[in-house]
Order: sequence, then C-alpha cells, then structure tokens
Amino acid sequence: MNGFDLVDITLPKNDRYNLLLLIAILLLMVSCAGAKKPILFDPMQPSPAIPLPVAQSQDIGLEDEFDDFSDEFEPLPDQKVYDPFSGYNRSMTSFNDKVFDWIIDPVSRGYNFIVPKGGRVAINRFFKNLFFPIRFVNNVLQLKYDKAVIETLRFTMNTTVGLLGFFDPAESWLNLEAYPEDFGQTLGFYGFGSGPHIVLPFLGPSNLRDFVGLVPDIYATPLTYIPDTGLAFGVESYRRLNIASLQLEEYKSLRRDALDLYTFLRDAYERNRTAKIKE
Amino acid sequence: MKKALIIFVSFLFFAQPALADDITEVDVFLKGKLDHVMKILQDKSLEKKERNDKIIEVIDGAFDFSTMAKLTLGKKYWPGMTGADRDRFTKLFVERLKASYLEKLDLYDNEKIIYRKPVQVKKKVRMMTELVSGDNKITMLYKLYKLKKAGWRVYDLELEGVSLITTYRSQFNEVLQNGTMNDLFAKLERPEGL
Repeated sequence: MNGFDLVDITLPKNDRYNLLLLIAILLLMVSCAGAKKPILFDPMQPSPAIPLPVAQSQDIGLEDEFDDFSDEFEPLPDQKVYDPFSGYNRSMTSFNDKVFDWIIDPVSRGYNFIVPKGGRVAINRFFKNLFFPIRFVNNVLQLKYDKAVIETLRFTMNTTVGLLGFFDPAESWLNLEAYPEDFGQTLGFYGFGSGPHIVLPFLGPSNLRDFVGLVPDIYATPLTYIPDTGLAFGVESYRRLNIASLQLEEYKSLRRDALDLYTFLRDAYERNRTAKIKE
Repeated sequence: MKKALIIFVSFLFFAQPALADDITEVDVFLKGKLDHVMKILQDKSLEKKERNDKIIEVIDGAFDFSTMAKLTLGKKYWPGMTGADRDRFTKLFVERLKASYLEKLDLYDNEKIIYRKPVQVKKKVRMMTELVSGDNKITMLYKLYKLKKAGWRVYDLELEGVSLITTYRSQFNEVLQNGTMNDLFAKLERPEGL
C-alpha cells in the first residue's frame, strides 16, 4: 500500500548478475523513453497549450479571475494521459485495495492492539536508522554532500546514543532531520523521465524509473545481506506491517477523497515524486 | 519631550504600512485561523458534531471555497456551465472538501503545527506549515490571495507537494472527458469507498 518505501527482494548470489543485466536494459529503455518524451504525464513538462473553446459567458469578470491563476494551473488537457499499462494498473490497484481490506487492515489492527503506538514508532525508527545506507548513497550521488554528512551524523548518534536507532536523539536534541533520497529520485535528479506508471503488487504505485531504482537500493539495504532468504523476507514483511500499522487511517481517508481510486493514487504518486525530486 | 513624542507618533504612523505588508498580514491571519482550529480540536468537552460545526465556521472565513470550486473545473468547463449546474457543483464540491478536511484533522489531532515564514509569489502569498504527528512531519503549503473586500483567503493547499486543486482538476477532467456533468454529479454524490 505504500509505494514510497523500498522493496526488499533477497536474491541468491548467481541471480544478481542477471539482475544487473536487467537493470542495464531497463535503464536503456527509460532513457529512450525519456528521449522521445511522449509522456504527457510528467508534471515537469508543461502540457501543450490547447486552444480552449471560447464560451458565451455572461460573467464578464470570470475571465479575469481565471487569469489570476492561469500561471499556476495549466489548462486541462484534452488528450488522455499517457498510461499504456492502465488496464493492468487498474486491476492491480483493486487487487492491492482488497489486500488492504482483507489482510493488511485486520492484521495491523490486531498488531496495534498488542503493540502500543509508542512501540511501533520506535520500531519504525529502528528500521529507518538501518536504512541509512540508501539515504547516504543517494544523497552523495545527487551531490548533496551536506545532507550526506548530516545523515552520517544522525546514523552515528542514533545507533549509539539512540540505542540502535530505537530513539532519535539527533532530531529531538540537535534538530538534525533525515533527508530521504532513493535511487528513483537520483535518476530523476539526472534527468530521467518517469516513464509509464506501473502499479506493483502489494507495494502500490510506482513508475518505470522508480521501479528500476528499486534494484540499486536493494543492494544498499542491510536486510538484503541476511543470509537466510526466508528470514530476510519475514523481516521485510514485518517492517512493512509496522509502517502500515501507523498509516491505516491515512490510506482510508485518502481513498475516500478519490472519485476514481486508480487515477487518484497515480496522480498523487507522480506529483509527490516530482516534488521530491525537485527538493 | 513634546518633540520626541511627535517623532515617536509619526514613526509609528509611518512604520504602519511597512509592518502591515502582505507577508505579515498572511502570517497573522493564517496563524490565527489555524491556532483557533487547533484550540477547538483540543477542547475535549465538545461533541464531535459541535466541534466540526465550530471548525467549519472558522475555515469558512479562511478558505475561498467558491473560487476553489471554479478552479477545479477551470476555463475548460466552468464558462460553459449553466448557473444551476455551477451552483450544484459548488455545493457538492464544497461539502466534499469540508468533509475531507475534517477527516484529515481527525487523523492528526493533538498535534503541533510549525509555521514557516510566508513567501510572496507575485500578488499571492504562500505559507509553509508542518504538521507534527509522532515522528512524522506532514508538510502543508497554504496558498492565499487577497480579495478586495474580504481580505486574504486560501485558494489551494499542497499536502506533501501535491496540490488539492490540481488533484481534483485531473480527477474531474478525467470524468468529464468520458462523460457528462451529470456523471460528475453522481460521482460526487456517491464517492467511491464509502
């Protein structure tokens, strides 16, 4: 349900080389897609101005009122959004939504009953601290050295004084905030377009760029190096359950805001990612 | 002494326009409204219905809902609509927006708001706020413009970089590209997931 976090897939050693090849191919595809720029969706690109039908409006002041905002909200496009996988994406969105209702929601509520919120927040902090390498590497790759330094300070302090990261003294005492960056954002930083939107099973909205970006991030995730694949998968599932348990009501509320769940989640995801890349 | 007083008074007088610039106005206005909402939220003696009514009363004076309704349909649809359709759409949209806002407040009650200094963008002013919720911070960017009579009003809100107006715009555009205004009304009346 949470597309903003990273997947963790643990792979046997020999599969890793095939995977690297796959990344290379996918990267090439993304860059080709970026070169042709067929993506209407990319909010970074202003959509082409479409002549609008001049309406017989009796409200004379109306045009002026819209003009006050025209630099902010682009004209609504007449074309459909570029979304080649929309059929698959739609079914996967309903699938994920059912998984939420039938599994994640009831399991999380049981879990919430057992573990109080303070405990869940601390567990979340522990995993966040553990995922420091992803933030560090991607801050460096985006030349954000000051943030990489802050991340390192945070990791050092929270791992020691913060008792393995269950507490966050770096933020509460020194006001040092985390700077989440992932490889999808790094690709965006270097100008890769988002590519088509892809909804991932269990993980929710993504796009080709961010999907490709998951792979390098997996290598920067400590959980990948747990030798027992089953155990690694279990730990990752638990991490996700813990995150979900803190965000149940948010998803439910968001879902009620949507006229159409798929397009709503898609647009929100893409805009949020674009805003994060610009940061 | 008298001279000093005159200088002091005239200083106050001339200092006024500089103090009451757009940024300060928005800062005072929005903080006042949001602090008021927080205060109502923290008053546990209120029934939920009563509490919601009070909050709506405050935000009615802070948000320009009818302009927001217009903006979500934009130049593409609004000018071609009949007066009755406009009224009906505005009513449905505003109800929905308010319900959604109240629901969001329920998610984050008892929390703290951090206010950043407002920024002027041409004639409008944006104010970044952060809602602190446990270890999470939710950024909320309020965008305001000045009405001649009523003063400053919010016309858009960005949650984590996602604009409310833009989100509704693309949702409505999608419905209207494939259907009619009546389809949109039906969807607004029977939202998915309820």
